[in-house]
Amino acid sequence: MKSLFYSRFFILLPWVLIVIIMIDIDTKRSSSRSPAHPYFSRLGNSQRLGRAPHNGNNNHSSLPTIYAITPTYSRAVQKAELTRLANTFRQVPRFHWIVVEDSNMRTELVSRFLERSGVPYTHLHVLTPRRYKRAGLPRATEQRNAGLGWLRQHRSPRDFGVVFFADDDNTYSLELFEEMRSTRKVSVWPVGLVGGRWYERPLVEKGRVVGWYTGWRADRPFAIDMAGFSVNIQVILANPKAVFKRRGSQPGMQESDFLKQITKVEELEPKAQNCTKVLVWHTRTEKVNLGNEPKHHQDTIQIEV
Amino acid sequence: MPKRRDILAIVLIVLPWTLLITVWHQNAIAPLLAIRKASHHLIKELFIMPERLGVRWHQLADDGSDARRDAGQGPDSKEYCSSDKDIVEVVRTEYVYTRPPPWSDALPTIHVITPTYSRPVQKAELTRLANTFLHVTNLHWILVEDSQRRTALVTRLLHETGLNYTHLNVETPRNYKLRGDMRDPRIPRGTMQRNLALRWLRETCNVNQSQPAIVYFADDDNTYSLEVFEEMRSTRKVSVWPVAFVGGLRYESPKVNAAGKVYGWKTVFDPHRPFAIDMAGFAVNLRLILFKPQAYFKLRGVKGGYQESSLLRELVTLNDLEPKAANCTKILVWHTRTEKPVLVNEGKKGFTDPNLEI
Repeated sequence: MKSLFYSRFFILLPWVLIVIIMIDIDTKRSSSRSPAHPYFSRLGNSQRLGRAPHNGNNNHSSLPTIYAITPTYSRAVQKAELTRLANTFRQVPRFHWIVVEDSNMRTELVSRFLERSGVPYTHLHVLTPRRYKRAGLPRATEQRNAGLGWLRQHRSPRDFGVVFFADDDNTYSLELFEEMRSTRKVSVWPVGLVGGRWYERPLVEKGRVVGWYTGWRADRPFAIDMAGFSVNIQVILANPKAVFKRRGSQPGMQESDFLKQITKVEELEPKAQNCTKVLVWHTRTEKVNLGNEPKHHQDTIQIEV
Repeated sequence: MPKRRDILAIVLIVLPWTLLITVWHQNAIAPLLAIRKASHHLIKELFIMPERLGVRWHQLADDGSDARRDAGQGPDSKEYCSSDKDIVEVVRTEYVYTRPPPWSDALPTIHVITPTYSRPVQKAELTRLANTFLHVTNLHWILVEDSQRRTALVTRLLHETGLNYTHLNVETPRNYKLRGDMRDPRIPRGTMQRNLALRWLRETCNVNQSQPAIVYFADDDNTYSLEVFEEMRSTRKVSVWPVAFVGGLRYESPKVNAAGKVYGWKTVFDPHRPFAIDMAGFAVNLRLILFKPQAYFKLRGVKGGYQESSLLRELVTLNDLEPKAANCTKILVWHTRTEKPVLVNEGKKGFTDPNLEI
């Protein structure tokens, strides 16, 4: 009797193991294959297969992805700016960098840079029409809208994420990203070195934003800098018409015009300890002195700077 | 009949085990194939990200009571993610700066000397410097403030980053500072601070130390790629490389001949300097610094652009220089400068709350 029992047990054991493993493989395959399709987009945008934000089985799936939309344009310090941005962004987990170039094609410099940057990225491009490139007009509008358009096309209501606009010359501390991750709708925080002051910040009372502390046009509905807020991706998807305006837009009103379309001041979530800490600085890089460059290329080799 | 039953039994036993083995093989190989089919970036990312996240988990298990992690925890770190305790913990470790890579005994240490002074953009500059340095293995940051006392801002920042650091300070006497505009090139800025750091190294480091070390002068407004630190690690005496945006050019670089030796300088501004190179364009092996204890940056009577020469002249000759960055054909460091922020709306008395640190 005993031997019969043992023999039956040992016969059944491997079958049970097989069944378990097949179930395991099936779940792994279904979770890793399904997000593959959206990444090979018909638009031909080069994208990187980041840690799939759809992956529901992942341990860190509850950690919302941060989408940073960075408009950039060619100038001498472009690669330097992107380098130090990448050095910062590489430290942030669940991060997706959307770089939008102001050009009619993807430049070699940025393409090569993004490939080696170590950050999951999407590389887009859209050329700003000449008539909008005057001083006094808002900048990078088309690029930010392109970033928003990509998100609307490639993300679904099932995704967890937070969108924020990261200009390439600002400075971001790592704490900022952890603060913004918990955004439910639209969150705000102080920004350093902007508005002609040491900092601009929302005024907070009892956990709600009641006003704005700024040195420039405090009468704006949302007196905040581009780097001072972030939006939950579901809000972006729920308001498909909310874009940065060109017609009738004034410089400095870009943020207000955009936020007006998606939220109200009462709904804003203050971060950074009730808006009392500066975690992002609106630094600007000096224009480079190239006074000694010869008119025609004199060196024997070409170096990308 | 018993024979058939025996055969049946044997088949029933052998079959599943062979199936198991083949399935196990497939399981191990198929994912690898999928990875190879995708671009090689995928490999990099799949192995880097889990590694880094894994490190965090591991460290969380080891020293959950680490004071560094507890410092700077806001009350709202637990606001969201109330369900899974594990996820709360992961978020908490990421709240503070991520750690630098673990110390390796096989790699030379890089001592990075950064002079700094108080101005509105100081914290921003040091923050993004720290964000870069956190990637570099075996980095020791020597931050020297131009101030009478170590400021709370810098002390707190250094403590929160988690980097290996030494915090020094020395105030440049006013007669050196006030001789005209701060940007006047005749007064080399940061000289006393760099010399203090050199003196600290000479006092602290033993000549007979087994682990090699490199000394690099990193100003706080430049931009450094991570590659430059790996290039300088192999310095035997003094290594040099091109620097972007100096001397009114896109870049300045040493001239390297076919034998891999430096024989001149590709600059427009005074190419006849003994070492026509920017502070960010060279690195010195620590042993050389210790063997020549008299070598310091000259304070007085130094013409603009000659500061680097005043130190290098005492350490090495042109012949001994080691060109890096693919024989000085790649730009790995940019001499960016940050604009002075416009603070007109502060007014004479200051408008914003001075207690809010920026």
